[in-house]
Order: sequence, then C-alpha cells, then structure tokens
Amino acid sequence: MRDILKMLVVLSAICSISGFALSYLKMITAIPIEEQVLTYVQGPAIQKVFSDVDNSPVADRKKFTLSDGRTITLFPAIKNGRLTGVAMENSGKGFGGDIGVMTAFNPHNDTLLGIGITTMKETPGIGTVIFEPRFTDQFSGKDLKNVAPKAQGGSFDAISGATVSSVGAISAVSNATKDYLELKPEILNTWK
Amino acid sequence: MQPFLKEFTKGLWKELPPFRLVLGLCPVLAVTKSADNGLGMGAAVIFVLTLSNLIISLVRHIIPKKVRIACFIAISATLVVAVELLMQAYAYPLYQQLGIFVPLIVVNCLILGRAEAFAAKNPVPLAIADGLGMGMGFAMSLTFIGGLRELLGAGTLFGKYIMWEGFQPFAVMVEAPGAFLCLGLILCAMNAFNHWQARRKGQDAPENPMPGCESCRACSHGK
Repeated sequence: MRDILKMLVVLSAICSISGFALSYLKMITAIPIEEQVLTYVQGPAIQKVFSDVDNSPVADRKKFTLSDGRTITLFPAIKNGRLTGVAMENSGKGFGGDIGVMTAFNPHNDTLLGIGITTMKETPGIGTVIFEPRFTDQFSGKDLKNVAPKAQGGSFDAISGATVSSVGAISAVSNATKDYLELKPEILNTWK
Repeated sequence: MQPFLKEFTKGLWKELPPFRLVLGLCPVLAVTKSADNGLGMGAAVIFVLTLSNLIISLVRHIIPKKVRIACFIAISATLVVAVELLMQAYAYPLYQQLGIFVPLIVVNCLILGRAEAFAAKNPVPLAIADGLGMGMGFAMSLTFIGGLRELLGAGTLFGKYIMWEGFQPFAVMVEAPGAFLCLGLILCAMNAFNHWQARRKGQDAPENPMPGCESCRACSHGK
C-alpha cells in the first residue's frame, strides 16, 4: 500500500512540476514565436501576393473580430497612401492535415489578388504541386462569387493527381472569402 | 576530477553513441542531410541529455523502482518540449528543417538508455559528465555524417561550395539511402580501424558481437 502511494505521489509530482514549468515557458515564448512565424512563414507568402507596396504589411497588421468570436489578423497593402489590398491567412483540410493559405483581396472591385501557401504537410512531390505557379496563378483577378473547385461549379482547377490538396487549398480561399466579405466595411473604415 | 574526465571522454570515442553503442539511429539517418542540420539536432540532444541526466540523478533516490521508466520519460519529454519551444522562438529556420524529429528526441533510446544505465545509478557530477560527453559524441557524429553526405551529395559544407569545379554530386547521398550507405561505411571503417589498432598493440582482434541476445550482457542470459 505504501509503495503504491509513493509511486502515485512521485509520478504526479514530477508530472505537475513539468506541467507548470512548460506552461510558464509557453507563456514567455509566445511573443517571439509569433514574430518568427510572421517572418519565416507568413512574411514570404505576403510578399508573394503583394508585389508593389509602400508600407510593410507585416508591421501594419491588425486583428479583427468576426461575428462568431474568432479573431483574425489582416495584413494591409498600401500604395501612394491608398489601400490596394488586404491579406489574411486561413486554412482548409488537405491530405496530411491543414493547409494554410494566405489570400489577398482587392477591396475596390472585390477580386482576388493572389494566394500564397504558408503551411502544409502534403505528400512531397504529389500534394506539394499546390505550391507551384500553375496552381497558385489561377487565383489572381478572379471575382469572389464562385470560389470553389470546378467540379463543384466553381471557377478553379484542381491539379489532377493532387485533388485533395487542391480542394483543401481552394476551401481555405473560400473560407477567407467569407471572412473578408463579413469584415469588408470594417476594413474600409480602418484603412483608406 | 579523474572519474569526471573518464565519464566525459568515454562518449567521445570509446562509447561513441551512434557508431559504438549504435543507439539513437533514427535521427542519425533522418536529419543528416546537411552538416547544419546534424549540428542543430546534436545541440538539441546535448541540451536534453545533459539536463535529463542531471535531473534524473538528482531525484534518483526518491523515484520508486517500478515507475522509474515513466518518470524518466516524463522528465525527458518536458525537456524536449522546452527545446521545441525555444527553437521555435529563437531558431525558426532550424525548427522548420528538423520538423518532426525534435519531438521524437523523447523516444530517442540514447536519452532513456543513459538515464537507465547511468544517471539513475551515479552521483550528479558524473551524470552531467556522462550526458555532456555522450551528447557531444552524438552531435559530433551527426555533424560528421551530415558533412559527409552534404559534401558528396551537393558539393557543399555548411552551405558553402567547396568542391572543385565540374564536380558531379552524388544525388543519392542526400536522399534516404545515402544515410544508410554512409552509416554502413563509417561503421565498417571504425571496425577496421579498431582491428588494425589491436593488432598493432599485439592483442587479439576485438571479437564480433554475437548475433544472439547473449552479446548484450544486460541480464542473466548474457552471463
């Protein structure tokens, strides 16, 4: 009996000390990690979707709250003092987990400016073709009415052989579109 | 000082983890595409192994024997998650490169092996020496394999091109089979070197480990 009690106490003590130490560490590393993700994951994708800007979209980022309670970070692109685009990251289900997609919108005529893939765990050489221009280039300039794969009556081609990954990326864009349309009045109020 | 040095140096050659103890081969094969990756993984292992040895040696008298493995795993898992967080916060590109293999340090048998075989039976200073030595031996080996594979497979070392002009890289070396080839050749070279050294000293060549479980001598079967 005493043995069992001792085992319980020691193991629980070790686990709870670990838990406290890790939650403290998680708290103090949260801000540096966010910065690193911005620099190494979201930054390059943003640069890809906004080719010509005067400001730094990452530095000017702002958080918005959606009606269902989610908060989302938006990255504005400003050229000659005027808002030319706004980008946000959203995700869709891929073959090996969530696919993160940075989607940029043109708020003046409600079209897509372009997309950039941020994170994914797709099969190398198969699902990873969604990184290539032949997939990502088809988004720029399209309007927001038909954001779905062609098989579902939309206007975007899935890459054959990588249907699941393509559909995942397209659904990320379609999620972003919904959020964008909801936030549009607020966006236009925030940035001119 | 003498035993401290002895425990420290044994990990550097005599019991070099991947090539002598043949422990922790998963990262040895998986993350050594380049010298940089090998060094980064090695540094993470030095950190985890030294601290886990230190902590386990500190608490070795209060851990009940029956739950010792669970306790060791809880301690090393904590340290690995800490490394993962710190790596994400301060060395994100390395974290992206190493990916899944950082969390897998938890189940690296080197960590558990040293905890069970050494740290749980020895005082703190010796446990630290053992962890540092083994960790550095591991990091060295990883960097060496990584460097070799990078050099042959891409003609670069730590990202700098150093082979002669017109050198045709062996692409296979940076792919998965290259890791097996490299490891096999290195093990072969080390055995040949030991044989040669033993013969030079006039001793018998070191015997090959027996194929059965008798060769390990950890339990009564081996005696």
